[in-house]
Amino acid sequence: MICLAILATLFMALQNGGRASVHTPFQNNLTPQEKRGRQIYMQGTSSSGREILAYLGDASLEVPGSAMPCSNCHGLNGEGKPEGGVIPTNLTWEYLTKPYGVTHPSGRKHPPYTERALELALTRGLDPAGNKLMNVMPRYQMSREDMADLIAYLKRLGLDRDPGVADDHLTIGILIPVRGDLAGIGQAVKAVTTAFFDEVNSQGGIYNRRVELKFVETAATPAATSANVKSFIQDEHIFAMTSAFTAGADKEIAALMAELEVPLVGPLTLFPQVGHPLNRQVFYLLSGIDEQSRALVNFASQKFPDKKAGALIVHPEGELAAGAVGAIKDQCQKNSCGSLETFSYRRADFNAPALARELSQKSKNVVFFLGKGDEALALMREADKLRWSPLLYLPGAAIGKEMFDAPLSFNQKIFLSFPTSPAAQTAEGIESFRALAAKYKLPADHPATQLSAYSAAKILVEGLKRVGKEVSREKLIAVLEGLYEYGTGLMPAVTYGPNRRIGAMGAYVVTIDLEKKQFAPVSSWVKTN
Amino acid sequence: MPTKLIFKFTLAAFMTLALMPSDCCLVAAGQVQRKAPNRRTMRYACPMHPEVAAKKPGKCSKCGMALRLVNHKANEPVVASSTPGPATGDIASASSVRIPDATVYNQNGRRLNFYTDLVKGKVIAINFIFTTCTTICPPLTATFRRVQQELGEHMGRDVWLISISVDPTIDTPERLFDFAAQFKTGPGWTFVTGDKGEIDSLLQALGAAVANKNDHTPMILVGNDATGYWTRTYGLSSPATLVKVITEAMDHK
Repeated sequence: MICLAILATLFMALQNGGRASVHTPFQNNLTPQEKRGRQIYMQGTSSSGREILAYLGDASLEVPGSAMPCSNCHGLNGEGKPEGGVIPTNLTWEYLTKPYGVTHPSGRKHPPYTERALELALTRGLDPAGNKLMNVMPRYQMSREDMADLIAYLKRLGLDRDPGVADDHLTIGILIPVRGDLAGIGQAVKAVTTAFFDEVNSQGGIYNRRVELKFVETAATPAATSANVKSFIQDEHIFAMTSAFTAGADKEIAALMAELEVPLVGPLTLFPQVGHPLNRQVFYLLSGIDEQSRALVNFASQKFPDKKAGALIVHPEGELAAGAVGAIKDQCQKNSCGSLETFSYRRADFNAPALARELSQKSKNVVFFLGKGDEALALMREADKLRWSPLLYLPGAAIGKEMFDAPLSFNQKIFLSFPTSPAAQTAEGIESFRALAAKYKLPADHPATQLSAYSAAKILVEGLKRVGKEVSREKLIAVLEGLYEYGTGLMPAVTYGPNRRIGAMGAYVVTIDLEKKQFAPVSSWVKTN
Repeated sequence: MPTKLIFKFTLAAFMTLALMPSDCCLVAAGQVQRKAPNRRTMRYACPMHPEVAAKKPGKCSKCGMALRLVNHKANEPVVASSTPGPATGDIASASSVRIPDATVYNQNGRRLNFYTDLVKGKVIAINFIFTTCTTICPPLTATFRRVQQELGEHMGRDVWLISISVDPTIDTPERLFDFAAQFKTGPGWTFVTGDKGEIDSLLQALGAAVANKNDHTPMILVGNDATGYWTRTYGLSSPATLVKVITEAMDHK
């Protein structure tokens, strides 16, 4: 028995040795035909629009190819995803064409596949020896052209790499603003990410691949920015993007990432696109306005747990506030915090005295305000005249220094949410950032943006490290989905999941001490998940 | 010492049965409450040699292993294989499937009580899926879809289909909705998810619990709650076979 095993090992070794000379190296660029084949393999659809059908069992069961694409069972790299006792065959060309044939775990044996044999397997469910394939392997009906495309791709399966992955480098893209008020932010992002990845590269890169950074600029309109980024990704072979400045073009950029299947880690925005269906490619670091509003509701119902109190929601008209209004209503329902009344106003004709009068008559003591700081201030001044000073909850991003001028009757009654806080930073995190800043002489302005870009880059690198040497976009997404309470040391720890794309879901709540004119923290991290 | 231990087990068994949660429903029809086993009917058997049995704890005469307490019906399958079980009123033969009234959510996010809303008095077929399962769940679901077509107007009137997620933490109602839409599911077919604890207890009760979701077996549970008839079948068998099994459950008196 042992002898046989040794013999077998020897034999295998010889075979491997023999094959080494014909070993196909990894390649990046698929031919147009292979690309079309890849779409059939991955999605079960033809780029020509022709129908692809799958038949199961006694052919009585017909489903569209998109319900059962090859990759479902055989995996993205063709090695197979065993489930419930079903072991899909390794589909890599190297395996299928072993000169001594293939013996399956089930005992089924057959000589090596040829292109023609593969076609028969796909259409009739027979292997090269004429054996029936496993009953869960569908038979496919597709056009000759599609079949040729698919077979062309199957020969490359497991050997193709995503764009931007080379033997010695990995290309990462960053979107930055370069004009107007935002130019400074763009410069800060560029400086900190360049420094961070220089540092990574100086330590051997990621599994000996140097990270190559490329920058693309925002344009005047969301559509133009999106077009810029699209040609950038395609022309420059961008593997993934990080800390892109998407504000204003959040929807467009997120949709583009999904379309091109390019992961984006840590876009700088207050409006994460996290609706259903989930955008798998985009990973946000912090809560946006919607999620922060939920945190405010959680905070309010913990601190003042009067179930019947209810609240007023005051917001400007428009799409941006609508998300937060929905979030507050939903979270209130979950916390059963009583009846809600909503008031909307038009920014152009904001009438603080009239609004204050109307609201004060509702005999409610809690107001969620989604407008700007100056509007909130005007409202508080009018309310103060009416001797009405409710608890006022606002997302912190909307306000500025003007809030310190609020009437004293609102002392410690204004509550602001912030997606991160110095309290979330660790000594180690601060130290490593300072060391980087000193070594690369980073600018001192836009510290929050710098910390965000730094954290995003750190999470991306962590993901790439966890993926390992054979990196792909899908693997990166799967690994990021597995991040749990990963701390960058500079902001709250991040957790992602198959249904979760906001790393730190929740907020810190602070109040304003109007006598001392300063912020005063009133909560630790308020979770919303 | 072993005797003492076994006595402890016996005691534990008594306690468990006595404390059976009240929201559980026995499956068999016209059910008598399950009686705590009577000391006199206790039976001890060797785990390796079931034919070696005694009324008292002891050792196996063939291999010396300690005899274990068994329910005297335990050698019968809890739920019969796809061949119909005895049609006569032997309640005990089917009574081991308890269907908890777990709080679950359907694909539209509606909160339901599993037993009362989905099973009580109905003929049902249950399969077990999860939306990130790509190897066996699509064929399982496609099979159900075909069964749905075959059953035609019986669907939602005489027969109901249920797909329970074995991965409730990830499978939100929205995910189930999308999954269902992919297979064009119709009325009378409910996708179920919920709190992990609730779903786990449900899966446990239905005999579909697994430690690793990728190990979940393509099994279908078919039953007629009104008559207490339950059976299981292989989920990847042909839709015709499955329709036959369901029809038998429908016709069971």
